[in-house]
Amino acid sequence: MLECRIHKARRAYDVNVEFVADAERLALFGPSGSGKSTILSCLAGLERPDAGHIHCDGQNWFSPPLALHLRSVGYLSQREALFPHLSVADNVQFSLDAAARAHERAWIDEMRERLNLTTLWRARPHHLSGGQARRVALARTLCRRPRLVLLDEPFTGLDRPLVRELVTILKEWQERLRFTLLAVDHDPLVLEGLCPRVIALEEGRVVQRGDWSELARAPATPTLRALLDLNP
Amino acid sequence: MPKDLPRTLALTITALFLLYPLWGLASPVGRWQWGAADASPALATSFALTGVALLIVVAIGTPLAFSLRGATRAVRITFEAVVLLSVLMPPLALGLLLALAFGPGTALGSLLLRLGIPTSNDSTAFVVTQIYASLGYYLLGAAAAFEAVPRELEQSAALLGLKPREVLWRVTLPLARLGLAAAVSLAWVRALGEFGAIMVTAYYPHGIPVQLWVDLQDSGLPAVLPLLLVFLLSALPLPWALRILVRARGHA
Repeated sequence: MLECRIHKARRAYDVNVEFVADAERLALFGPSGSGKSTILSCLAGLERPDAGHIHCDGQNWFSPPLALHLRSVGYLSQREALFPHLSVADNVQFSLDAAARAHERAWIDEMRERLNLTTLWRARPHHLSGGQARRVALARTLCRRPRLVLLDEPFTGLDRPLVRELVTILKEWQERLRFTLLAVDHDPLVLEGLCPRVIALEEGRVVQRGDWSELARAPATPTLRALLDLNP
Repeated sequence: MPKDLPRTLALTITALFLLYPLWGLASPVGRWQWGAADASPALATSFALTGVALLIVVAIGTPLAFSLRGATRAVRITFEAVVLLSVLMPPLALGLLLALAFGPGTALGSLLLRLGIPTSNDSTAFVVTQIYASLGYYLLGAAAAFEAVPRELEQSAALLGLKPREVLWRVTLPLARLGLAAAVSLAWVRALGEFGAIMVTAYYPHGIPVQLWVDLQDSGLPAVLPLLLVFLLSALPLPWALRILVRARGHA
């Protein structure tokens, strides 16, 4: 279970949020600059909150801040950040030592098949297209079965069929592996397809929580209404 | 006129200008005297002591350059200014200053001498002078190599569960290795070819540059050119190839 209360001062306005998520898929939705990515960065440990607490599956992540490598977190953004000196295979299995690679053979093979990485397995990242690189990054993120998966607009720039395919795979794996997934995306259709629950943010505050039908039926603010209307 | 003709001409003329001195090896100076002087002690001195100096430079410079990434801007700028001072120092001036600072007449020099460490005309003085001559070049190159490694890759590795030391070994060093190799090659050439400062601080034991000077004075060009050729062939190919490789891979 993820328990999160974050206060983070920013130039425009402070981020103040509190929520709980338990082995589920949860969307963070709101206009640009509403604090969505800041929340993900704080959870990953890339930014440090000014106050609050973060607990994940009984482990204290903040405060004091827990080092990045000790958090069981997978973080995927639109920048794949693949290791250019390693093959696709070594990128995907980067987090596993030799023993773990042998132990996770079936899981690695499944990811390779489902994400169509077989023919790319020995390639270097600079030979990959954007969509291929994003699939490799997803496999690398999930390879060590993190307890928390953070998606910060990882589908930006990908074509619709690939996004649909990745959303389907992610849903299936989340339900099987029971990790908590938090997703941010500019496209509510993608978020709605991936996450049943949503937290709507504006100017760093939570303005509404619930499922997508509630949000669509009675958006809490004019900004939310406009955002949803812009993306029918 | 083709659009790139001026550029091609300029590049060609500059390249020919830079390569032209090598033509000097074909100068009609008379029959080369391969056995005029035994060059092997000078070669051994230069390569052995430069190797020691380079090991010390890399051992000191690599962690220092890496640690600079985490330093504040003010610290970086201040430190780089100091390093630049050593890089920009004319070799002869460096030699004179080292002699004045470490010479037997100074408090530090006499203390070191009492401890059995001679500070002039000795292997120690030779190595120390080479370190002074090359450390700045290595530091600047190594710092640039580490700076070129994207932070987000190191963050990704940490998020994938790697400890800081593992991130260094599996991500930072592999990605910085070509830049580090270029820095090593520059430091190697700088230390091996050092003449002005070595002349002042460590005339003995003769390294190759000093031996070339001595041979030129004593025996003339026919005796110097064989050693010069051996010097060029043994000292330049490795750093030259490294530098080309680095450029080809898009680093440094």
